[in-house]
Amino acid sequence: MTIGLNHYLVVSIMLFCVGLFGVIVRRNLLVIYMGLELMLNAANLALVAFSRFNDNLDGQVFVFFIITVAAAEVAVGLALIVALYRKRQTVHAEDLTTLRL
Amino acid sequence: MNLLLLVHEWSVIALALALLLADLWLPLSSKRKLGYAAVAGLVVILLYGIIKPPPYGTTFGGMYVMDGLALFFKRFFISAAILVLLMSVEFADHIETGIAEYYALILFALSGMLFASSANDFSLLFVSLELITVTFYVLTSFQRARLASLEAGVKYLIIGALSTGFTVFGIALVYGLGKTLNFGQLAAVAGQFKSNPVFLFGLLLVLTGLGFKIAAFPFQIWAPDVYQGAPSPTTAFLAVGSKAAGFVLLLRVLFTAVPQIALEWSRLLIVISAITILYGNLCAIPQRNIKRLLGYSSIAHAGYMLLGISALSAAGQSAVLYYLSGYLVTVLGAFTVICIALQSRPAERDEGGPSHGGLDFNEDISSLAGLNQRSPLLAATITLALVSLAGIPPLAGFLGKFLLFKAALAQAPAQHAYYWLVAIAIAGVVISIYYYFGLIRAIYWSKDPADLSPIRTSIPIRISLCACIIGMLYLGIRPNLFVKFAADAIQKLTS
Repeated sequence: MTIGLNHYLVVSIMLFCVGLFGVIVRRNLLVIYMGLELMLNAANLALVAFSRFNDNLDGQVFVFFIITVAAAEVAVGLALIVALYRKRQTVHAEDLTTLRL
Repeated sequence: MNLLLLVHEWSVIALALALLLADLWLPLSSKRKLGYAAVAGLVVILLYGIIKPPPYGTTFGGMYVMDGLALFFKRFFISAAILVLLMSVEFADHIETGIAEYYALILFALSGMLFASSANDFSLLFVSLELITVTFYVLTSFQRARLASLEAGVKYLIIGALSTGFTVFGIALVYGLGKTLNFGQLAAVAGQFKSNPVFLFGLLLVLTGLGFKIAAFPFQIWAPDVYQGAPSPTTAFLAVGSKAAGFVLLLRVLFTAVPQIALEWSRLLIVISAITILYGNLCAIPQRNIKRLLGYSSIAHAGYMLLGISALSAAGQSAVLYYLSGYLVTVLGAFTVICIALQSRPAERDEGGPSHGGLDFNEDISSLAGLNQRSPLLAATITLALVSLAGIPPLAGFLGKFLLFKAALAQAPAQHAYYWLVAIAIAGVVISIYYYFGLIRAIYWSKDPADLSPIRTSIPIRISLCACIIGMLYLGIRPNLFVKFAADAIQKLTS
């Protein structure tokens, strides 16, 4: 059996769904954040696979941008979660109840 | 590569870096004044861009386009940043450390918006969108000692990152089928994917990310919390700059990249627009926190502008541009007043103890009581701004709504759903009059206001407020010039 585009796409969609599921179900901000990263990496896998099978390098270059931006986002995000922990001593989403009607 | 096209972006980034460098050497006491230097720099950039506009064309291999629409939005974003920076100078007392970084971050967000207005490729769309969003994570949570600010930042972060995930996956699907990331090249092949579910799903995911930026239903849940918790200048920039960036990208994607598919999506846009208008206006009614109320009202305004986009005509698009111009002066005027009026209240800065959880009770509508006696200029500005937001002639908001409804009604004979949409929008306007006038009543007719001490306003703030008032009146009474600007700006988009 040869590995084709469809195989990569199925893995990518599975990764995306696992990430999305984690974001929706988990209550710990750090785990939610891991889920978000998984979603980005699912997109990266799809882009690289498309790029390889379409013979078009744009997708692979775009992946570099996504990785860079994701790193910046993680840096800011973790800093924010640490700052919140110092103030509130919690990283659970259900404790974020200051702002509501 | 023609670097002359990017004159706005280069100069704004250089200004931001210069600001960060100046921060190293200046004594603490004069750092606050750096905001005025940034404003002066932006005014020079804006005027230079008007006197000597950059040539039209594309660069970076077609990724970056400079055309009428880009130029219109670049001027729009720079004007917004000028007013926001003036507001932040007044707000400086409430930011414990790093006020110069706050100014610099506003400029970096501005550069992201400038790039967004010229995006002609999904890579530039993604990078500029992220430059704006990641900068706003920091700007939102800048008051680290205030729990509300941190919490708003974390909520914005999670929902923002989620929408990024959707956008990127959508781009991957669109790229996989279209075999290109460039809008122009995609337009040539998009027609053949009209009924390809994977392509349409990918496009829908991209629109999800943009819907998050403009706070359209069903991606609006973050808006009220973030608007309430963020520092007031950040909220103002979020309401105007970030939303407008979402709209310019939406215009580009829908009408440059996939024009054939956009024509088929009028029904989807109509439904989203109608729900957004109703949701924003209905949820705003019970609000007591001013910034939260404006957060819901900004959702409603996103709905009105989506109404213009759903008309899928040049008239609708230029009406969106006109509406945004009016929205800029109106919302920034209102937020400047709120920023000053609220911080003159005692005990503005609570430390977020567990007893009251860091809630700002002083942002309640009642804290505007007696504003007309404390400062007539502030009271006049916010009254005019609220009247304009409610859409009452002769102010900018009325004419903007009029143009939007007119564009939608022009399409109505072909599709009757537009009649319903306009009816819902008018119902929304009527609802909005109720809560906007609740605010005005609190200013002029509240019983025994607690504090009648006059509010001192600095000269730059007076200039900025007067500019907002003049803008609202000018756009409302003599609209011809700006209607022409808006029509010219979208000319190339639809051709």
